[in-house]
Amino acid sequence: MLLEKTKKILERIKKEDKDINSFIQINPNALKEAEEIERKIKAKKAGKLAGKIIAVKSNINVKGLLATCASNTLKNYKSAFDATVIKKIKQEDGLIIGMTNMDEFASGSSGETSAFGPTKNPASKELIPGGSSSGSAAATAAGFCDIALGSDTGGSIRNPASHCGVVGMKPSYGSVSRYGLIDLSMSLDQIGPFAKTVGDAELAFDIISGKDEYDATTFDLLQEKEEKKSFTIALSKDFEKLCPDKKIYDLIKKKTEELCKKKGWKLANVDLKHIDLAVSAYYPLCYVEFFSATRRFDGRKYGFKIEDACGPEVLRRILGGSEISKAEFKGTYYRKALKVKEIIKNEFKEAFKKVDAIISPTVPKLPHKIGSKISAEEMYSYDALTIPANLAEICAINIPAGKISNVPVGIQIMCEQFKEKKLFSIAKEIEKL
Amino acid sequence: MDFLWHKVSEKEKEEIKKQAKEIIDNFSKHIGKIELGESKVLRKDQTRKETKASSEKDFRNRFFDNAPNKEGDLIKAEKGHWK
Repeated sequence: MLLEKTKKILERIKKEDKDINSFIQINPNALKEAEEIERKIKAKKAGKLAGKIIAVKSNINVKGLLATCASNTLKNYKSAFDATVIKKIKQEDGLIIGMTNMDEFASGSSGETSAFGPTKNPASKELIPGGSSSGSAAATAAGFCDIALGSDTGGSIRNPASHCGVVGMKPSYGSVSRYGLIDLSMSLDQIGPFAKTVGDAELAFDIISGKDEYDATTFDLLQEKEEKKSFTIALSKDFEKLCPDKKIYDLIKKKTEELCKKKGWKLANVDLKHIDLAVSAYYPLCYVEFFSATRRFDGRKYGFKIEDACGPEVLRRILGGSEISKAEFKGTYYRKALKVKEIIKNEFKEAFKKVDAIISPTVPKLPHKIGSKISAEEMYSYDALTIPANLAEICAINIPAGKISNVPVGIQIMCEQFKEKKLFSIAKEIEKL
Repeated sequence: MDFLWHKVSEKEKEEIKKQAKEIIDNFSKHIGKIELGESKVLRKDQTRKETKASSEKDFRNRFFDNAPNKEGDLIKAEKGHWK
């Protein structure tokens, strides 16, 4: 059965992905691996992911497959090892179908900055799919896989999940190992799943999460199934202020009110006064950590020198990061940005003493047409509602909430750090609406 | 600006450098009112067990396959080549 399913999906990708451009490489051994998994299924010795077809963002190392980061810098780079998340997926017999397109080195919110060409939104092909995990979101939406892995630094899973109309989850910082992830900003990056359903996203999260001795920031999560049946949900006016498109905010507000009414849950308001500074704090942190992370791409051991091979957005971040890392700017940019991160983290901590979850739209505006001319600030504002969760290190998920002008719009649920089970529990109730 | 990938010319590199500085300066203004306190690091035991180095035979081959310059058993990394 899995072999047949894989054959069908490979045929569909061959035929339909020319138009969407969600994959950079298809696993040449996919059919052989499907056969092996099928044998295990028949012998009743297969793992929890047996039967699931999984796509992987091109900044996660899968042994023997390309880890290009959608950049010419690493266009021929074949991974020499499996990232921890991949090891875990293979142990549970998940079938890796291929490596997905993305914004170059995860530097983008639109899916346009890939050196392999932009990914198109399966819901409306002239529009951006969001980014940076553009290919993983588009492949899930197009039905080319059951689950896809992405990475989320400021919204790179939730943003494209929202634009493409699929589920996308960012785990708490420390829930999932980053070993084998080619980093954008190591203090903020997390690997997380895309899926069509909350159930599949939870299944993938359960497998990839947990302590890893190769990533000292990880913890063992002994989370029990959420027993609580009644929750207090918050809509924050501070998030509303960051959402200029009232149609989007009203849709999410209506959905949240409907949820609380149907379930008899309490609806509250929480103050998050400093989240308007999130974008301004995030980019200095991201630029400088990215600058530091890219110093290894000097064209000596592998690949090409990044400054010679990259596109404009990656270069902007490297040059900006270089400025910030100069001693005279340390206090002006970097330490202040870290301070804002700490303030926002504390505000969320306080808020979660009063409520179980905070709900907002995932993206404050509808996606633009591919190739549109917009300013860097406009581009960066796509992540205004998702960045706070990264700075606060909490978990968050996007679920499709409906459509506006025939374009998918997502609802974002945020829960306290390491309360992923509660997050999935609430998400499942929204999914049922 | 559009965000589609294209090869960057030397002239454009200069423009991008200016843009990057402007963007960062603007963000810095927004967070300028934040006052800095004492910085601190809270860390409990975060050590990892030492394990043997990877003994996978094909790791070395794969690493060599990715190297742009090699000679026999060595990866050639010329001094100053990366400048």
